[in-house]
Amino acid sequence: MRSSASARAALIVAVLAGACTADPRPADPPVARRVVSLAPSLTELLFAIGAGERVVGRTRWCDYPPAALDIPSVGEGIGFDPEAVAGRGPDLVALYPAASNRTAATRLAAMGIRTVELRTDSLDQLAPAARTLGRLTGYARAADSVARAFEALLDSARAAPRPAAPPSVLVLAWDNPPIVIGGGSFQSELVALAGGANAFGDLPQPSAPVSVEAIAARDPDVVLVSDSTVPDWTRRPEWRVVRAVRERRFVFIHGSDFARPTFRALDAVRRLRAALEAVPR
Amino acid sequence: MSRWVILGVLALAALAVGVMVGPADVAGGAALQALLGRGDDITVGIVRQLRAPRALLAFGVGGSLAVTGAVLQALVRNPLADPYLLGLSGGAGLGAVLAIALGLGGAWAVPAAAAIGAVVAVALVYRLAVVAGAVLDTRVLLLGGVVVGAFCAALVGAVLALSPADQLRNALLWLLGGFDGASWPALGVFAAYAAIPLAVLYRASRPLDLLSLGEEPARFLGADVEPLKRTVYLAASVLTAAAVAVSGIIGFVGLVVPHAIRMLWGHSHRSLLPAAFLLGGALLAGADAVARVAFAPLSLPVGVVTAVVGVPVFALLLRKWAS
Repeated sequence: MRSSASARAALIVAVLAGACTADPRPADPPVARRVVSLAPSLTELLFAIGAGERVVGRTRWCDYPPAALDIPSVGEGIGFDPEAVAGRGPDLVALYPAASNRTAATRLAAMGIRTVELRTDSLDQLAPAARTLGRLTGYARAADSVARAFEALLDSARAAPRPAAPPSVLVLAWDNPPIVIGGGSFQSELVALAGGANAFGDLPQPSAPVSVEAIAARDPDVVLVSDSTVPDWTRRPEWRVVRAVRERRFVFIHGSDFARPTFRALDAVRRLRAALEAVPR
Repeated sequence: MSRWVILGVLALAALAVGVMVGPADVAGGAALQALLGRGDDITVGIVRQLRAPRALLAFGVGGSLAVTGAVLQALVRNPLADPYLLGLSGGAGLGAVLAIALGLGGAWAVPAAAAIGAVVAVALVYRLAVVAGAVLDTRVLLLGGVVVGAFCAALVGAVLALSPADQLRNALLWLLGGFDGASWPALGVFAAYAAIPLAVLYRASRPLDLLSLGEEPARFLGADVEPLKRTVYLAASVLTAAAVAVSGIIGFVGLVVPHAIRMLWGHSHRSLLPAAFLLGGALLAGADAVARVAFAPLSLPVGVVTAVVGVPVFALLLRKWAS
């Protein structure tokens, strides 16, 4: 517990430090001065390493930190519009390696705009992504210290003792047809770090369609609701068969720190842990 | 007579399979016990509150889509007619997608919006096809249905393009259709809306035989053609709107089942309609059971199963019929 607290303090210090100072020595390729970020998690990473002032374009979904909202939006980040991106005059475009981004990325390359594809699907990919962005923007040292602090925090969270019988948690992405979060999603790890067990953690997919019957049969202890109020679907008769829904054992976790993998993930874990502990078993 | 026995057995077997299998480990005898209320809470809940209404709803929707397909094929005298041809699916899809994109509240918002969208589309097509006061032009009905459907599909495309990515996938999944919203109240609502149109269509089966010969011959043979066309169209529309509201858009059943029955059985609507109801119901209830267990706990869209199972069977029938 102590080591995690000190690591958190180190992370905060590192983020603050990163926000204040750029590296004096630029990295090998010319340092990017105008960056368009095409994923909310990448925008957050850029701000976390102190390169926020270099971001000249973002997606319509990039809403954190609040300062990101002052940056002009280029629309979608998956299946983006290369013209809107090029219009921001970037010398670096950071994007998610989605199949629907391939063609547009090639078009940017043809215009002589450097692109970097960064996958941020799991917590383990965050620190390397931050380091890459740091190298490209000339914030390598700041990025490394933020990344190192996050890794330490993550290690200590992972090393924390787990409850002997963790409550099984249903993480529902959608209600009709029911889509559950599977073991392939970072949210499954957030649940585990918070002392729970994803009810569908055995599925390798990040998310998967299942039937209400499959959910009722797994009989989860709690239902995680990524909203601030009890959603309407819980009143539908077919869902009353799921015991946790019938007994209204909901855990509310609303916020972008749970919705996307970022350095704030451990804040979401802390809130989720508190919420899980508050549920009567 | 034996044909009815075969169909009846098929229908009962499909319903039984629907109750006895599922992703939960409650099968066969245990499921039947649970149906009678014996077993633990979860098991009884799964069988009585989830599987039983779901199997019955799938059966009712499958039967209704098959009947609708049969009468619309007779009405517009086009073998390609199916319940969704007349703009209905487009309107229903638009209603549902709008409800999802706007985040309309309420447990029944999406089905209600789908039904409203379907009814609006039907009214529009109907208005286009009614010429000179009272005459319903079935050619305009067909073309009007196609263009209204295309218009709605374009608007659906626009809404999806402007929606957040997760809503987009969810709306697309809803459009694929399925019975995840099945419950006793949903079955009750569906039955209430389906009963009258089904009865109306069955009562129209003799005049429909005449109508399938063509409007002129039907008139000579004494059918009251204009009221008949309007009645059949409106009854078919209400029936399809009810099906769409509880299950989304499930293709294939309404197109193919009537043809299969005609090939095996002949064209008289008096037997075609009940037979299509039984076969369509059995097909959809069986397909839904397969969709739930084939890759359990993952579930497939039921329309995928109806097509994968139904298309080869229908292709064989087509070859047999052509030779």
